[in-house]
Amino acid sequence: MLSRVADSLFWLGRNVERAESIARILDVNYTRAMDLYSQRDGRSETLWRSVMQCAGFVLEPRISLNGKAAGDCFGFCAFDSENPTSIVSSVRIARTNALSIRSELTTEVWEVINVLYLYVDSQNMRSVLREGPSKFLRRIRDGMQGFAGMSDATMNHGDSWSFLQVGRFLERAYMTARILEAIDVENEPWHESQRLLEMCCASVPFAQQSHHAPEARDALAFIVLARDFPRSLRYCAREIDVCMHRISRSPEGTFATAAEQRLGRLRAMLDYTPIDDVLSDGPRIFARNMVRECEELSRDIEAAYFPRLPMTA
Amino acid sequence: MLDLQPHHAVAQHYDELYEPDGSPRPHYAPLAASLGRLGRDEILARVQAINTSLLQRGVTFTVYADAAGTERVFPFDVIPRIITAEEWARLERGIGQRVRAINAFLYDVYHGERILRERRIPRELVYSSKNFNREMIDVDVPRDIYVHISGIDLIRDEGGEFLCLEDNCRTPSGISYVLENRDVLKRGFPDLFRNYAVCPVDDYPSRLLDVLRYVAPRGIEQPSVVLLTPGIYNSAYFEHSLLARRMGVELVEGRDLIVLDNFVYVKTTSGLERVDVIYRRIDDDYLDPLYFIPDSSLGVPGLMNAYRAGNVAIANAIGTGVGDDKAIYRFVPEMIRFYLDEEPILNNVPTYDCTDPVQRRHVLANLDKLVVKNTNASGGYGMLMGPFASAEECERFRGLISDNPRDFIAQPVVQLSSSPTLVDGGMVARHVDLRPFALLGRGVDVPPAALTRVALRDGSLVVNSSQGGGSKDTWVLQG
Repeated sequence: MLSRVADSLFWLGRNVERAESIARILDVNYTRAMDLYSQRDGRSETLWRSVMQCAGFVLEPRISLNGKAAGDCFGFCAFDSENPTSIVSSVRIARTNALSIRSELTTEVWEVINVLYLYVDSQNMRSVLREGPSKFLRRIRDGMQGFAGMSDATMNHGDSWSFLQVGRFLERAYMTARILEAIDVENEPWHESQRLLEMCCASVPFAQQSHHAPEARDALAFIVLARDFPRSLRYCAREIDVCMHRISRSPEGTFATAAEQRLGRLRAMLDYTPIDDVLSDGPRIFARNMVRECEELSRDIEAAYFPRLPMTA
Repeated sequence: MLDLQPHHAVAQHYDELYEPDGSPRPHYAPLAASLGRLGRDEILARVQAINTSLLQRGVTFTVYADAAGTERVFPFDVIPRIITAEEWARLERGIGQRVRAINAFLYDVYHGERILRERRIPRELVYSSKNFNREMIDVDVPRDIYVHISGIDLIRDEGGEFLCLEDNCRTPSGISYVLENRDVLKRGFPDLFRNYAVCPVDDYPSRLLDVLRYVAPRGIEQPSVVLLTPGIYNSAYFEHSLLARRMGVELVEGRDLIVLDNFVYVKTTSGLERVDVIYRRIDDDYLDPLYFIPDSSLGVPGLMNAYRAGNVAIANAIGTGVGDDKAIYRFVPEMIRFYLDEEPILNNVPTYDCTDPVQRRHVLANLDKLVVKNTNASGGYGMLMGPFASAEECERFRGLISDNPRDFIAQPVVQLSSSPTLVDGGMVARHVDLRPFALLGRGVDVPPAALTRVALRDGSLVVNSSQGGGSKDTWVLQG
């Protein structure tokens, strides 16, 4: 397939996943800020700082959110078109990528993304906040999950679909790592672990498999190492690796590109290391390393399949 | 119930639906009856649903004049335009004749210039054409085909006769609307198709692909075909993506292609792959920065060399623009006589040559009665509709014509035929034209897939999408 098309599919997958993740993070935190964190002891501010960090922006401590945190952070993460990771930006970038490879996509897949774009384009922050952001955020999540479902159900599961999957799961791992980096759950009450689980869409799956009174480390172990949970780092690494091998046609257990080599190392670590060893330097150092791994992996994939070639040889 | 009566009691133009005595033409009668049964509210509700679906599908075009570069749905009018089998058979013959003659002309002007030597067409007119391409002289193109795809614009005059208004031989667009219009109309108004046998349009992409494969360089059994687009910001991008998808070929941009040792390759995730045929939707000037506009990033450096070496076919061929130069247009009947030894089936609209002093004087004295067109523009840009123009507009064109007479032609205003059209919830008569598409491969193929464009503004004779035009589904009836 065309390198440019692979490039667009990869970024389409990433931005679809990003919009969905940001929508979930905002929903979880906006609703929590209405009761649990509403006390004026600075906890609301801590909460929104962590949201901003998930979205990729570390606020300096001297910047005070001044009680306007909810509206400002929500606006920045959802509607700010200058912020490349905001929901409107992600949806717009996803749609532009989809448009540039319109002939590769099925009508169903294209329409899901186009309809969502037209919806987002028709919304503004004031009216969304007036009726409460849940409806808007729900629509984003539904649209993006509709995209995932439609692409699974209507596209050929060949190289195009594999690049889309790689983009989706790489972004998912990246967001999970960023959430882990942004929230300190150890030495905090259980509700912080609960917030982490909800932001990763993991609270029910976690509860179903836990057999004792859970502790923060159990939640961390689930998010990082759960074998069958589709948002754990381990699951994402396996999914990316499988798709990369499908694309390169190299047998499992070997590597054809630097990206596959990196994935092999990562998978071995996540498959065979006990959680206490994984987190031996502390969860946040581990999370920071994972964020970096994802960024390196993205560069490796780009170098292997869609290098920014000059116009002439 | 909708009132289908025409808004003029006595029309000065040909009415597609009604006979002069006010009774519906026989081939429109079942349609009028079906619409009557549906009723106004039902029709409007279905129109609303169709418009939503077109927007969601992204059946849009980009308006360049609009600062935001916004995408808009090309307005679709649900009342179909019907052409009888007899009318179509004649158009098919007439179009085939024009396309064969123009192709012969293009071969001739780039090989030996017989028609110029015999002084049937003035040499300076050809040489001064902006689209006459000297790089193409003595270049042999695959199977001597230049105009693989053309869009022939037809109008009906006051007496109902089809005249050819222009031949579009470069990169005519509109076929995607033909395909989409039929699809949405079948879904939205299935009842209208009752009592009709309409020729299907959806095999157009495969007929186009046949032509593209036919012109592949000799000896290649399974040619690799690509469609070259300027990209997502081009006004016809939707059409490019639709055709690529329906033909099952790659949609590429200039930056996806590379020329090595005079062969064209596409950059893929598994390396470079050969390209044999390029259906390009980019103008000549942007195709190869080494030969044409040097800072163009839309094209492919070295493409012209690969083309001249015979290693790649390009459709349409480079240099076809001289065949649809508006100043050459008036010689098409002459080409038909000269190359084919036949009499033209489709007549031209009378055209004044502004380079001729006598004719120019006539044009300048009658600007308020004529249509003046720039010989190199298209899409309804750069033209003057005399009867509707302000005095300043006329003055501006007077200056332009006097300075550069070669750049302009003038034609009398033809009252285009009208067709019933839904505007603001009511049925009104609006002017229409017709653009059939011709494919030239083993022979001329004129698929029954024509675009009817409609001028939605009352009294307007300009049907271009960029100038407030819309389109209709066009039914060619089976014989």
